[in-house]
Amino acid sequence: MRKPPAWRGPGLVLVALAAIFAVAPRLYSNESVLFTMMTFMALAQGLNLLYGFTGYLPFGYVGFFGTGAYATSLLVTFTSLPVIAAVLLGGLAAVVVGLILGPLFRLSGPYFSIANLAASQIIYNVVANEALKPITGGPYGIKIEHVYAPTASYVTMLAILLAATALAAYFRRSRFGLGLRAMHQDPISASLAGVDIVRERLIAWLASAAIAGLAGGAYAWNLSVFYPEAVFTLQISVFAIVFALFGGVGTVIGPLLGAALLYAFYAGIGVSAPQYFELLYGLLIVLLVLFLPNGLASLLTRRNVDVL
Amino acid sequence: MALLEYALIGGILYGIFFSLVGIGLNLIFGVMRIINLAHGQFIMLGGFGAYMLARGMGLNPLFGIPLAIAGGIVIGYPLYYGVVPRLQKSQDPEMLSFILFFGIAQMIEAVAVFAFGADQRSLPQDALGSGNIGVLGQEFPDSWWVACLVSVLAMLGLYLYFSRTRLGFATRAIMADRDEARATGIDVDRVSAIALIIGIALAGIAGVFVPYLIGSVSSSIGDGLTTTSFAIIIIGSLGNPLGTVVGGLVFGVGTMLMQTYYSSWSNLAPYALLLAIVLVRPSGLLGRAVRRA
Amino acid sequence: MRTHLKRAWTACAAGLLASGLALSAAAAQTAPSEIKIGTLYASSGPFAVASEGQYHGLQYWAAGVNKSGGVFVKAFNKKIPVKIVAYDDQSSTATATTLYNQLITQDHVDILMADFGSVLTSVAIPLAAEHHMLLIDPTGSGANFFTKKTNYLADVSIPSSTVWPLPLAHFILAQKIKRVAIVYGSNDFDASQAETLKATLEKGGVKPVYYHGVPTTESNYTVLLHTIAAHNPEAVIELGYAPNDIAFLHALAGSGLHFNMTFTIFPGQLLALMEKNVGAKTLAYTYTYPTPPLVAYPKTTLGPNTAAFVKEFTAAEKAAPNFLDAAGFNTGLIMQQMLATAPKFTQLDFHQALMDMSGKTTTLLGEFKINSHGAQMGELPPVAQLVPAGKGVTPVVVYPQDKATGKAIYPAPKK
Repeated sequence: MRKPPAWRGPGLVLVALAAIFAVAPRLYSNESVLFTMMTFMALAQGLNLLYGFTGYLPFGYVGFFGTGAYATSLLVTFTSLPVIAAVLLGGLAAVVVGLILGPLFRLSGPYFSIANLAASQIIYNVVANEALKPITGGPYGIKIEHVYAPTASYVTMLAILLAATALAAYFRRSRFGLGLRAMHQDPISASLAGVDIVRERLIAWLASAAIAGLAGGAYAWNLSVFYPEAVFTLQISVFAIVFALFGGVGTVIGPLLGAALLYAFYAGIGVSAPQYFELLYGLLIVLLVLFLPNGLASLLTRRNVDVL
Repeated sequence: MALLEYALIGGILYGIFFSLVGIGLNLIFGVMRIINLAHGQFIMLGGFGAYMLARGMGLNPLFGIPLAIAGGIVIGYPLYYGVVPRLQKSQDPEMLSFILFFGIAQMIEAVAVFAFGADQRSLPQDALGSGNIGVLGQEFPDSWWVACLVSVLAMLGLYLYFSRTRLGFATRAIMADRDEARATGIDVDRVSAIALIIGIALAGIAGVFVPYLIGSVSSSIGDGLTTTSFAIIIIGSLGNPLGTVVGGLVFGVGTMLMQTYYSSWSNLAPYALLLAIVLVRPSGLLGRAVRRA
Repeated sequence: MRTHLKRAWTACAAGLLASGLALSAAAAQTAPSEIKIGTLYASSGPFAVASEGQYHGLQYWAAGVNKSGGVFVKAFNKKIPVKIVAYDDQSSTATATTLYNQLITQDHVDILMADFGSVLTSVAIPLAAEHHMLLIDPTGSGANFFTKKTNYLADVSIPSSTVWPLPLAHFILAQKIKRVAIVYGSNDFDASQAETLKATLEKGGVKPVYYHGVPTTESNYTVLLHTIAAHNPEAVIELGYAPNDIAFLHALAGSGLHFNMTFTIFPGQLLALMEKNVGAKTLAYTYTYPTPPLVAYPKTTLGPNTAAFVKEFTAAEKAAPNFLDAAGFNTGLIMQQMLATAPKFTQLDFHQALMDMSGKTTTLLGEFKINSHGAQMGELPPVAQLVPAGKGVTPVVVYPQDKATGKAIYPAPKK
């Protein structure tokens, strides 16, 4: 039997994603729901790049998202760059923050997670501080209403989601990703086998930061009038983590499915039964962890299906 | 000078209380390697418990302490057997517990909103004494001293439990190595269940004093308390409950000094301290080195 | 000749087109069976207390008009019942964004009304403009919302927070208080007030001896109060949200400190909540901005006056209204008048109707006055002192003179 070419699976996923989100606005006119869904899918996928392949859980992932949102908004406010360029630079800003936070990898498991959380809170408190009012707007929030463009920001977010997914597919199928996972499972033998742990892990971290920064930029563009808490709320980190785990980390389709389904459920009960919203959502998560701890993707891998 | 003294003493009192706020989270992590993201919500329940006793039945809020212990048993026991052994069988219990307890936190908050609404609630102001007690000429409200005293007693109790009782020894053995403890014949589940009960009860006890130290209790305060608790126990040392005291003191004094001199940056203090400390000493101020790669 | 002909054709075509448009417009203008008002509320999270009050006030208004067959809509020349479509955003802006969009694109509401406060209102502003919907904004008074001319935003029930402290500043100057300490939460609502207060005081020659922001989540003021006291202020002005005010007043009561004048915002809006939490003894002789129903506007051109509203609301709901109930109700009233005067059932006509009402309308919240940026410039909150009355406290308006119901007891007596 001949193996299908390595790019076929990822190609199919990307085409399907692009097609679904290109057509969806014609079928369902609440674009905000679709946009937010893509945002969380991109974030879950971006988080997966780090957590799924290295085992480091960035609890403060929202810090990159907020950095991207603010970098983009500030560039739009103070320069005449096209918004798209500002979004790209938002991603770059997150990468720079990622580089600065590189030393966090000296920490193990939970220490890393919480220190990362602390870092995100620091960024938040600096951005939102009144002393920086002339620059960031501080607690007064920021307003880039004049470039508000729901369709363009929608397409941008879709592109970011596709980029995140392509990266995840690369991680999953390449030697690079193999090395990452080897060092997650057994760091010592991996380093003996010639995997440059520090460098590869840093690359995964920066890729993950870039996705969050880009997503933050596009999100800011789509909101266009917002307060710092809107892009720094811890809820964003928590959702990205929960969504990714629900789908199954370490795979390409897991985080996508997890985010799409759980967010749809979230939006659904929000509209239909708001009073039981939190309770139902909490209960669902508890049941999932207890009965499906390795995510949706494990339903397939358990049956020996090769999941991308 | 008086300002500095006031901030220092205030920070110590505040910090001792916040050690109590964080210690339950640390105990549960140390024993079960479980990240109790609902910690702040358990504190909030403790606050509402005291509120019901004080406003509903006219009792002194201190009766909230036995109520918190009872609550710890009623919640902790089924919670342990319902979820923990299952979690521990999974590949990555630390991270899965994180999500599971996020779900539990959501449920507790939802139930609290149904039961108590979204309003802030406070306890009778003079129930813990209405005067001020001074040290070195610096006066603080009686309620601060009572909260501190209870915190010290609770932590002393925990220390004695660890150092004087068989269950405490067993708990420490499990903290050192769960599998080895099981191999030596310790009933790991029973001992861990008790640790979970103690952890939740300590959170509830801290909740009794929350309305005095932070003004009021409301259904939405949980997440903020969880985050602060994390900062405190990491500054101290994750998995070492008594290290929490150091974390609490660093947090309390740091926050109060910032508040006195750079008030608008004061909520940066715990996080900046945390980051600085873990980068210098990756395992926290009192921790052993636990680096993997 | 040819050009004439061409012109005639063009005119003819234009006429046809116009009549076609008019026809289709008329078709679209058949009266709906109900007027859909879409809004959000928060049942949990930091904005829940205020948001639920506002929503409750709106529901009370809707129940009232529907009892009498609905609101009169001038465009259709008849009464039509109102239906409120409301979702719970849980105080989250991300959720609010999708839900506002839900109201606009899925429910096709006729009138879009924002949730309580600036944070939850902010995300609706660009959405409303994009869909050419007028956003009725009851209480979102953010300092940077109203920076340009717009037809799609109208703040109806709360004055822009930058003008709130004007009477307070003038009162302090009139009392010849020289040493003023200001501590405020680092958020739009409080910081913009602090800024105006400071600027106005400085114009009057009073430079605050202490002027600092604290995090919005600040919950412990004990040590901070001692820092403030070290500057020997005569007046301490704390600008925060309700939890800040509660924590501040608790800390003040417990600290043994005393100032000649203490000011907080929320006793003037949520007096019952504040009394329950900090007690009448602590509130006694402190100052606040009294909002209706604590301050009453007896003469109105629209709807019941403040006293009548309190009576009716209390009878119907078995609980006395607070400011946010009144604000929600007032928003309903304004929308009712808007529908009753807008000649056509379009968003632009709605906006024009509001502009026409501006400056000529007085409701239970006082004067309704809106500028072309959508900001509310009507009734500024006066300054009141809370004096002991029976078991509780009652506000006595002490400034400005024309509204005063008593004289300030200054300095505040020690307890």
